[in-house]
Amino acid sequence: MISIRNLHKKFGKLHVLKNVSLDIAEQEVVVIIGPSGSGKSTLLRCINYLEEPSEGEIIVDGIPLNGEANINKVRAEVGMVFQRFNLFPHMTALANITLAPIQVRKMPQAEAEKIALDLLAKVGLSDKANNYPEQLSGGQQQRVAIARALAMKPKVMLFDEPTSALDPEMIKEVLDVMKALANEGMTMVVVTHEMGFAREVGDRVIFMDEGRIVEEGTPETIFTNAREERTQAFLSKIL
Amino acid sequence: MNFDFELIVRSFPLLLLGAGVTIQITALSVGFGLLIGMFVSLARLSKIKPLKLLATMYVDFIRGTPLLVQIFLIYFALPIVTGTRIDPFVAAITACSINSGAYVAEIFRAGIQSIDKGQMEAGRSLGMSWTQTMRFIILPQAFKRIIPPLGNEFIAMLKDSSLVSVIGFEELTRRGQLIIARTYGSFEIWLTVAFIYLIMTFTISRLVDFLERRYKIDDKH
Ligand SMILES: Nc1ncnc2c1ncn2[C@@H]1O[C@H](COP(=O)(O)OP(=O)(O)OP(=O)(O)O)[C@@H](O)[C@H]1O
Ligand SMILES: [Mg+2]
Repeated sequence: MISIRNLHKKFGKLHVLKNVSLDIAEQEVVVIIGPSGSGKSTLLRCINYLEEPSEGEIIVDGIPLNGEANINKVRAEVGMVFQRFNLFPHMTALANITLAPIQVRKMPQAEAEKIALDLLAKVGLSDKANNYPEQLSGGQQQRVAIARALAMKPKVMLFDEPTSALDPEMIKEVLDVMKALANEGMTMVVVTHEMGFAREVGDRVIFMDEGRIVEEGTPETIFTNAREERTQAFLSKIL
Repeated sequence: MNFDFELIVRSFPLLLLGAGVTIQITALSVGFGLLIGMFVSLARLSKIKPLKLLATMYVDFIRGTPLLVQIFLIYFALPIVTGTRIDPFVAAITACSINSGAYVAEIFRAGIQSIDKGQMEAGRSLGMSWTQTMRFIILPQAFKRIIPPLGNEFIAMLKDSSLVSVIGFEELTRRGQLIIARTYGSFEIWLTVAFIYLIMTFTISRLVDFLERRYKIDDKH
């Protein structure tokens, strides 16, 4: 589904991603962990071209990311959920969800609204369709953001620390939505420090440090039996 | 010195006509300025280098030269190049619009840049183009924030429009001059002219306050 080959990313002199190669299969749930500044967000953002790779190749669903023409096509297939939700504050939850299907997919409004209401039901927010983001709690906002991304019927979902801006009591409601999504067979790449989530739904855990993939394996192996010292050191701090 | 109140009463209708013209120039100029400013600010923020350079040069030129000189350039210098005289009204509106456009462009740019970067990223990540994201997400949010500085620009333009009196265009200041030339009532007339400007700017600033408060409430939802 996603194939990354020898990816490099530099911000000026700062070399943030160093020769990253990674294949993600259809329906796979990949969890990325690693210390702050290790390049996790940058890697995710390269996958939908929010950051332009300095070197290397990224192929999403058979479409190589190589020019402006392809970018919007790929982005429409790749949903992204941000740490700080990034809902559109001047629009209701419903309008947040229907905007892209109407503008990008040219879907009729009635159809887009029907899909949006179904998605809101799915994330448990049927009664919030006409609320503005400001009237929603953080957990509710993040669930609307997930519904917004799903409305484009993406083939892959990217999550960048989706629960780390949330109060503890709201984390579960967002993780539950993500779990349900994983169980339906969505291909997912998730940057998170929620180890319980990683264990329960992750097919593979990737540990990144200083712009490199240091180690990868099943959650079980990484959490109980990491080979690399750096991985062990990191895990001992967060587990 | 004796104060000729009668003169004020007699001149008032003429001065009001002038004030009407002043409002007209201001509204037209800021109106065109808004159009120019929106495109110029987008050009300044775009990734297309020549467009960006051109927009930056325009803004720098206008903000770095006096409006009076810009008026002279259009009214006196331009006809030498084109060979046709320009109507004072057209020259006044053109000069003021081009001038206002540069200031409005900076207001727009600041407004757009004040919107969280995550908004553009969220729009783009959904597959929307830069233009679509600007139109549906960034600009509607920026508009609310630029109401106060736009109000200030309107007030500044209203005052600066007195400069077009130098090319003989009969707005408020010019009317005052003409009346004084006939009546020598310098003190009374300039006082009245100042008072009329004050009433206009005061009204506009209250109007802007009102709009601002309304949108603030609107923002809360
Ligand atoms: N737009 C940018 N310009 C310059 N440097 C950047 C930019 N974005 C990220 N960086 C730098 O790249 C490095 C990796 O950042 P990145 O956000 O990918 O790390 P991360 O692993 O997601 O960290 P965190 O856990 O804190 O989110 C950091 O040193 C960061 O300062
Ligand atoms: Mg990050």
